[in-house]
Amino acid sequence: MYASLVSNRYLTSRLIPVIAVAAVALCVALVITVVSVMSGFLDMLKASGRSIVGDVIVSSGIGGMPYAEELLAELRALPEVAGATPLIDTIGLLRMPYPAGPQKETAHVQVWAVDPASLAGVTDFADDLYWRAPKDAAAADAMAPDDPRRALDPTILEDGKRLLQSSTNTPGIALGMHVSVGNARQRDGSYLPRYGWFMPGLEVTLTVVPVSGKGKIAEPREQIFPVVNEVQTGLFEVDRNRVYIPLQEGQRLLRLDEAPLYDLTADPDASGNYPVIGRTPARVTKLLLRAKPGCSADALRDRVQATYDAFADRIEADRSRTASMPRFVQVLTWEQQLRDLIIPVEKEREMMRVLFSLIYLVCAGLILSIFWAIVVEKTRDIGILRSVGASRTGVMWIFLRYGLIIGTLGSALGVLLAWAIVTNVNPIHEAIGSDAPLAIRVTAWCLASACAVGLCVTALRRKFLPTLLWTLGTIVLSAAALGLTLHHGTLIWDPSIYYFTLVPDKVDWWAAGTTAVGGVLFSVIGSAIPAAKAADIDPVEALRYG
Amino acid sequence: MADLPLLDARDVHKTYRFGALGVEVLRGVNLAVRSGEWLAILGSSGSGKSTLMHLLGGLDRPDAGQGEIHFRGEPISLQPGSALDRYRNRDIGFVFQFYHLLPELNVLENTLLPALVFGARSEGRTAVRQDAEALLGAFGLGHRLTHRPSQLSGGERQRVAIARALINRPAVLLADEPTGNLDAATGAGILDLLAERHKQGLTIVMVTHDHEVAARATRQIRLLNGTTETPDAT
Ligand SMILES: Nc1ncnc2c1ncn2[C@@H]1O[C@H](COP(=O)(O)OP(=O)(O)OP(=O)(O)O)[C@@H](O)[C@H]1O
Ligand SMILES: [Mg+2]
Repeated sequence: MYASLVSNRYLTSRLIPVIAVAAVALCVALVITVVSVMSGFLDMLKASGRSIVGDVIVSSGIGGMPYAEELLAELRALPEVAGATPLIDTIGLLRMPYPAGPQKETAHVQVWAVDPASLAGVTDFADDLYWRAPKDAAAADAMAPDDPRRALDPTILEDGKRLLQSSTNTPGIALGMHVSVGNARQRDGSYLPRYGWFMPGLEVTLTVVPVSGKGKIAEPREQIFPVVNEVQTGLFEVDRNRVYIPLQEGQRLLRLDEAPLYDLTADPDASGNYPVIGRTPARVTKLLLRAKPGCSADALRDRVQATYDAFADRIEADRSRTASMPRFVQVLTWEQQLRDLIIPVEKEREMMRVLFSLIYLVCAGLILSIFWAIVVEKTRDIGILRSVGASRTGVMWIFLRYGLIIGTLGSALGVLLAWAIVTNVNPIHEAIGSDAPLAIRVTAWCLASACAVGLCVTALRRKFLPTLLWTLGTIVLSAAALGLTLHHGTLIWDPSIYYFTLVPDKVDWWAAGTTAVGGVLFSVIGSAIPAAKAADIDPVEALRYG
Repeated sequence: MADLPLLDARDVHKTYRFGALGVEVLRGVNLAVRSGEWLAILGSSGSGKSTLMHLLGGLDRPDAGQGEIHFRGEPISLQPGSALDRYRNRDIGFVFQFYHLLPELNVLENTLLPALVFGARSEGRTAVRQDAEALLGAFGLGHRLTHRPSQLSGGERQRVAIARALINRPAVLLADEPTGNLDAATGAGILDLLAERHKQGLTIVMVTHDHEVAARATRQIRLLNGTTETPDAT
C-alpha cells in the first residue's frame, strides 16, 4: 500500500516519467505499425494472388493440353472442386490507339485467352471489371461528381463479363487497368480517363506468335479487338501486363483450335492437299481450379494431380484418340505459383520485426538510466522507508511497480498510436503526398512566431534554460513551417513498386499484443536493476549521508 | 516481568570496516532501558550515539559474537531481516535530527506512512487516519494536513516526524538529537511535547550533547570512548 502511494507520487511529481512513457509508446507504435503494414501487405498479396489464379493451377507447355473440356468435366465432378476454367497463357504485342496520328504506341502484354463465364467462378474476374454503370440513382449519387462511371452505358459490365462488344457482336478484349496510359489513378483509388483516352470502345491490335508442337515459331498473327472493359485486380504487376480475350480467339490465333488432321504420308490430291484422316482437338495451356470452402489448396492439388494422371492414362489407352495428354504438366497451388512474390515479403517482415525489436533494448536502457538517477536521488527516502519498517522487497516493489506502470501506460498508448496511424495510413499517405493545407501552414508560422516572441522575452530576462528551450522551439517550428510551405507532395507508397494501389490499413492484433507485452516486459527489466540497487541500499548509510 | 528491562544492550560492540582497517566505535556498551523511563544519552560528537541508536532500533546489527541487544527479553539482532523490519515498524519509533520526511508526501501521508507499512489492521483504515489527524491536531498541525514538508518550518517538520514515530503506538521512541537543528525556544516546544507523551507512559531514549536538553530526561548516561558511564549528578 505504501509502495503504491510512494511510487505514484514519484510518478506524478516529475516530468521524466512522461518522457519514458512517450519513449516506450513510440517504440511500441513503431514496431506495431511496421509489422502491421508488412502483414497487411502479405495478406493482400496472398488474397489477391488467390483471387487472380484460383487455388490450383495446372500448366502445360506451350503445346497445350487437348480434351480440356472432358478433363474439366471430370475435375468439376470432384467433391473438392468449386469451379474450374481453361485458359491459354501467352505473350503478345498490343498496338494502342494512341497517340493521334499514324504512329501508335505498342505495349507488350501477357495474354490470357479465357472462358469468361467459368473464369468468374474460379477467380474474381467479374468483380475486378472496373467500368460499370451505377446500379441506380442512389449509387450514382454516391459517386464523386467527376467520376466517369456516372455516365457509362449499362451494357459495359455485361460486355466485359462476356468479352464481347454487344453492339457489333465482335469478340472484345479487356485490358489490365494499367496497360494503357489512359487511366489516371486518383488518390482515393478511383480512375479518371487521362488525355481523353477512355479505352472502352476504342480498338487495339493484338499480335501473338503461334508456336508449333515442335517448338517452331510460325508467322505472327494479329487481330483487331474492341476494348470492352478494363480489369483492376489490385496487383499492379498483373494490371500493368495482362489482357483478356475470349478463349476461342486465343486458340485460333495461336493455332490451338480444332483442326483437320492430314495424312502427310499419302500423296496430295490435285489441288495439293493431303487427305484428311481425322481432326485434332482444341487445346489450352492452363487449367485454374477453385477449392470448395474447407478444402485446402494442397489437398486439392493432390486430388487434381491424381485425376489428371488417371485421365492421361485413359486417353493414352484409347486408340480412337488422335492426340495424347502431355505427361509433364505442373500442378501447383496458388502459393507455390506465386512463391517468388510471397517469400521475399515474408522474409522482409520477419527481418523488420527482429530489427525493430532491438528498439526494446533502447527502451529498457532508457528506463534503466532514468530509474537509476531517481534511485540515487531518492536514497534518503529509501533510508526513511526502511527506518519505519519497509522491507527490502517493499522498496524494490516501489520501483518495479513504477516501471510496470510506465511500461503498461507506454504500451497502451503505443497500441493506440499504432492503431491511429495504421487505420489512417492512406489518408496520412495522401496528406504527405499533397500540398499542406493553408490553415496548417499559417498555424505553423504563427506558432513559430509565438516561439520567437517567447525567445525574445526570456533572452531579455537572461535565463539560460528557458532561452535555450524557446530557441529550440523556434528553430524546430520554423523548419516545420518552412518544410510545409516548400513541400509539394511526395508519393511514398508508389503502387508501381508495392504492387498495390492502397497501403494496408489493418492492425495486426497478434503483433500488437506481443509487442505491447514486450514493451511492458522490457520496461520492467529496465527498472529491475535500479530496483534491486534500491533494495540493497544500507538504510544507516542512507540516513547518515542522504 | 516487571523488572525486566524493555530494551537491554549487553556488551555491545560495533566496528566499521574499510577493507583491512576497522574503526571500533562501540566497545562494550551496557544499557538497560526500563519501561516508562526517559533516558538521555550524552556524548561528544563522534562518540557513537547515533550508531547506538541505529543498533537499538534494529536498523543495523552489532558485531557478531560479542554481546546482544534484547527487546522484551528477545535477542533482536539474531533475528532475520523481515523480523527486524516488523520490529522497526511496530515496536520502535524513530525521530531524527533532520526530520527525514518524504518530500513528495503531504503531512498526513508522512504521518500515516508507518501505518501503511504495517498493512491491514483490525480497527480499519479510517480509525488509523483519525488517529493521525488527532495526533497532528494535538501537535498544532491540524490545519496543515495537506501541506508538503517544504512548506513547513523546522519545528513543524519535527512535530510531523514525532507524529509519524507515534502512529503505530510503539513501545519505545528513539530520538536522535530531536532538537539539534532547532533554536532554543522551538526545541523547548518539542521537548514539552515529548514530556507530555512521557507522562502518558511512553518510553523515550533520546540522544543529545546538550546538558540542558538532557536535564528534561528522567535518567542520563554518557557515551565515552565507546562505553557507557553514568555521569556525576552535579
Ligand atoms: N559507515 C561508517 N564507516 C566508518 N566510520 C563510521 C561510519 N559511520 C560512522 N562512523 C564513525 O563512527 C563514529 C561514530 O559516529 P556517530 O554518528 O555514531 O557519532 P555521533 O555520536 O552520533 O556523532 P554526532 O554527535 O556528530 O552525531 C564517528 O567517528 C564516525 O566517523
Ligand atoms: Mg549523531
